[in-house]
Amino acid sequence: MSNILETKGLTVTFGGLNACDKVDLIVPEGKFVGLIGPNGAGKTTFIDAITGYVPTSAGTAVFNGKDIGELKPHERAQHGLVRTFQSLELFEDLSVLDNLLVAGYQTRWYSFILDMLYMPRKDDAIEERIQWALKIMGLEDVAESMPSDLSHGRRKLVGVARALAAGPKLILLDEPAAGLDTAESQILGGHLREFLDHDMSVFLIDHDMGLVLSVCDYIYVLDFGKIIAEGTPQEIRESATVKKAYLGEEAGEIQAQAGQRMTSLQQDHAEIEDD
Amino acid sequence: MNQFIIALIAGVGTGSLYAMLGTGLVVAFRGSGVINLGHGAVAGYSAYVFNELRTSGDLFLPWFDIIPEWGVLQTLRISNIPTRIHVFDFEMYIGKPPLLPTFLISIGVSVLLGLMMHLLVFRPLRNAPVLGKVIGSVGVLLYLDSVIAVNFGGQNRSSSGFWIFRPDLEPVSNFLGLGGTIPRANFYMLLVAVLMGAFVFILYRYTRFGVSTRAADENEKGASLLGYSPQLIAGINWVFSSVLAGIAGIVFLHKTQPSLYATFVVGALGAALFGKLTSIPMTVLGGLIIGAMSSGGVSLATQDWWPGWLESEGVRTFMPLLVIILVLYFQGDKLPIRGTLSAGKQPAAPASRNVTVGVIAAMGFALILSNVFVSKWEAVLTTSILATLFMFSLIVIVGYLGQISLAQYSIAGFAAFMMIRFIGDGTLQRPDDYYVITGLGMPTILSFVCAVIAGTLLGLLIGLPALRIRGVQLAVVTISSVLAIEELLTKSRSLMGTGAASIQPTPSNPSWFGQYIGGFNKETFRTDYWKYSLFLIIITALVGAGVVNLRRGNTGRRFLAIRANERAAAAAGINVKNAKMLGFGISSAIASIAGVMLAYKIPAVQAENFAIFSGLGLLAFVYLGGITTGYGAVVGGMLVAGGMMPEFLGVHFGDVERGMINAVGAVGLIVNAIVTGGEGVALLQSNGLGKIPLRLLRRNPDEDEDSEANEEETVTEGASI
Ligand SMILES: Nc1ncnc2c1ncn2[C@@H]1O[C@H](COP(=O)(O)OP(=O)(O)OP(=O)(O)O)[C@@H](O)[C@H]1O
Ligand SMILES: [Mg+2]
Repeated sequence: MSNILETKGLTVTFGGLNACDKVDLIVPEGKFVGLIGPNGAGKTTFIDAITGYVPTSAGTAVFNGKDIGELKPHERAQHGLVRTFQSLELFEDLSVLDNLLVAGYQTRWYSFILDMLYMPRKDDAIEERIQWALKIMGLEDVAESMPSDLSHGRRKLVGVARALAAGPKLILLDEPAAGLDTAESQILGGHLREFLDHDMSVFLIDHDMGLVLSVCDYIYVLDFGKIIAEGTPQEIRESATVKKAYLGEEAGEIQAQAGQRMTSLQQDHAEIEDD
Repeated sequence: MNQFIIALIAGVGTGSLYAMLGTGLVVAFRGSGVINLGHGAVAGYSAYVFNELRTSGDLFLPWFDIIPEWGVLQTLRISNIPTRIHVFDFEMYIGKPPLLPTFLISIGVSVLLGLMMHLLVFRPLRNAPVLGKVIGSVGVLLYLDSVIAVNFGGQNRSSSGFWIFRPDLEPVSNFLGLGGTIPRANFYMLLVAVLMGAFVFILYRYTRFGVSTRAADENEKGASLLGYSPQLIAGINWVFSSVLAGIAGIVFLHKTQPSLYATFVVGALGAALFGKLTSIPMTVLGGLIIGAMSSGGVSLATQDWWPGWLESEGVRTFMPLLVIILVLYFQGDKLPIRGTLSAGKQPAAPASRNVTVGVIAAMGFALILSNVFVSKWEAVLTTSILATLFMFSLIVIVGYLGQISLAQYSIAGFAAFMMIRFIGDGTLQRPDDYYVITGLGMPTILSFVCAVIAGTLLGLLIGLPALRIRGVQLAVVTISSVLAIEELLTKSRSLMGTGAASIQPTPSNPSWFGQYIGGFNKETFRTDYWKYSLFLIIITALVGAGVVNLRRGNTGRRFLAIRANERAAAAAGINVKNAKMLGFGISSAIASIAGVMLAYKIPAVQAENFAIFSGLGLLAFVYLGGITTGYGAVVGGMLVAGGMMPEFLGVHFGDVERGMINAVGAVGLIVNAIVTGGEGVALLQSNGLGKIPLRLLRRNPDEDEDSEANEEETVTEGASI
């Protein structure tokens, strides 16, 4: 199986500080990979670097077999490397549905002529994908609303839905669960693994250890810009380095237990859906 | 060589005006974060007040009487707003009134202007998005220019300032042994500029007030900690800035006509940007450099080897623009412009549903009117429709894409002149024309298409800076390019033909598909050709439908996405640069069509038809109508000077002056920015009028603090990504 994303020695420097320091990271195709680390560890910077939002000072990023180092952010998005933002960044003047449509359809140079003549291009596959994204994020009832009319949590879900609508090969989620209430977390957590059934791989950053441990196939741990540990959720849960550096002995225990609870919850959920 | 150096040195005369105005711009900017495009007009108004006091002894307050002397209003004796106060009785002062009181009264008017700007415009707009603030300062510029036109007639004045600035003083000859002469007054102006700069510099560096302004500039909270309210600081700085403008205006009275001051803001912007909007010494230096460059450029343009198509006046107006572009290009990201991260709430831009019905209804209505009306009213109707047509270009670029381009009307003018050049075949168009236009002799349709292409290319060129800069900086570049376009291109004789510099006859017999579509009847000398109206209505309807459909489709959604958030737009796979170019292209093409259609209507065009204030007036009215929807353009077109609404009112209330209409438009513009956030009349009716009082109520202090807190939040979030 090939890797959808592979970085080697990726380094980002902000005025002498290495926010990402020689990061080697692999996302295998069709897998769910997580990245955790304390505040300021450089997680967002890593996403910024591979999506072209900050310049890298060293290292390579290969996406889908292609070195993307020279590509502009929008070109990377068009290639199927789609991100969400930690700080929302929705299109506030567009309805929820329009937010998704913007990401869903790409335009050609002559599209504006067709648009002016009101001969919009409809693509069933894209429309279907958008409807699916709305449904899976529980946004069907607010499709025509403005983002500003929604709760913070639902706005975050709009951000995720917008990324899904773009039809990514790899979706990069930056703390999608932060600020969600319980019901919203469940919508998200319960559906995250479904993303994999739609031809995409997932890369997740989150502080909610329970969520990360329960949904990921493989997890990287970042601290001060360096990868300090990696492994399956089981290994991460047991890793002493991680506990020490990141979780703190006791807190880690509690959160790891929460993770187990979450896993069983998910299993319940899956069973219910099977019925 | 010596002559060139002398020219450079002589340029410090104008340069000191740029330096003085630039200093005031920086003061206002540091106090409030606003780049005041109306700063030159403030100087102009104060200078006129001074001049008027010296010549007639009357003081004109910065407004005019809008209440008609009519019916009930007259009976109730409220038909008069005091505007004109007789201050000096000439019989008492034989000859001219004393200088000092005159000067102080004029500065008093500057203070009043500063207070008005702060309290009525920029304080209410302090939480508005960038567009709102820029519109506010455009409103100030347009308002003052219009009030100048109404109160002082805008005509030339014989100078009446302080004697040391008089041009007829014996010039300094053989300065530094270079030969040649330099007007003595230039040195005094330089002195004033440097003294003013030094005074402001010391004030900001060493006084408590200055320190708190600097603190407020860096961080509003910082100022609060020092015990000052940021709004108090802003207010004081506005007044101070206006006083500086007033002094500059009065000092400069001998050098130029006060009616031109408003456009001197371009050089002042160059100076202020040269000082990175913070450093006073650099601002003064920047002003002097721009002055020297302009004067030096003009001197070069008189040389034999200089290419003739680059006319000296064009070179002069291009220099400030050049400095502005260079500074923004190389230093743009280092400018301390606030609010680039938090865009604030933009005016809503809903998609229209019943486009076909709307277009057909509007077309039918216009057609009926054009058949009912005769001569005068047909001219009025077509004025409104032409304005609407042009406004569609602003809806695309400002409304949808959020790029504040103030140069679109110059593009319209450029296209109109190009069309004439393309179609010109060296024959006399009408027996009474002064000029024969030579050109490529193209058929009408081809010349139309080529002119639109030429206009679009120019628009793309103007749009280039938008790829790097945004918001208020783009407004600065585009407003600065208006004069340069006019002098370098539109008025260029070698480019546009002999009449370009003064009055250019339009083709007398334009015909599309064998139909005469000109608006001017050669026999009757009237605008009464119904075919022109029909043609114009069809074109406008097609363009309007296209613009409205744009919003319904993917292109419009993408434009709005860019307007909302460029970062996120790129993450959604949008090529922001291409989309902006597309927006500029579409908008400029529409502007060009409007320009050419105007040229079809009238027997001759002048560059003045497309002057800066006509363009700003159109922006004001489409903003008032609603910058984000097609209805906005229709409403705006009805409101423009010479259009349906003012002319209709004119029938009932007696003639309304053009300046008054623009001034009313400017006030409407500001009020609209404050009350509806720029959504305009068109959206008011769909939102329900009931919401307005609510919005006004919501503007209480608590709310403000709320939104300020929000703003900060976005900023910090933005920084941590
Ligand atoms: N544009 C920037 N310029 C300078 N330093 C930056 C910039 N962006 C991030 N940093 C710094 O880089 C480090 C990593 O930040 P980053 O936002 O990537 O952390 P994070 O792991 O996403 O944290 P969080 O969990 O809080 O989101 C931090 O110390 C931050 O201050
Ligand atoms: Mg982060």
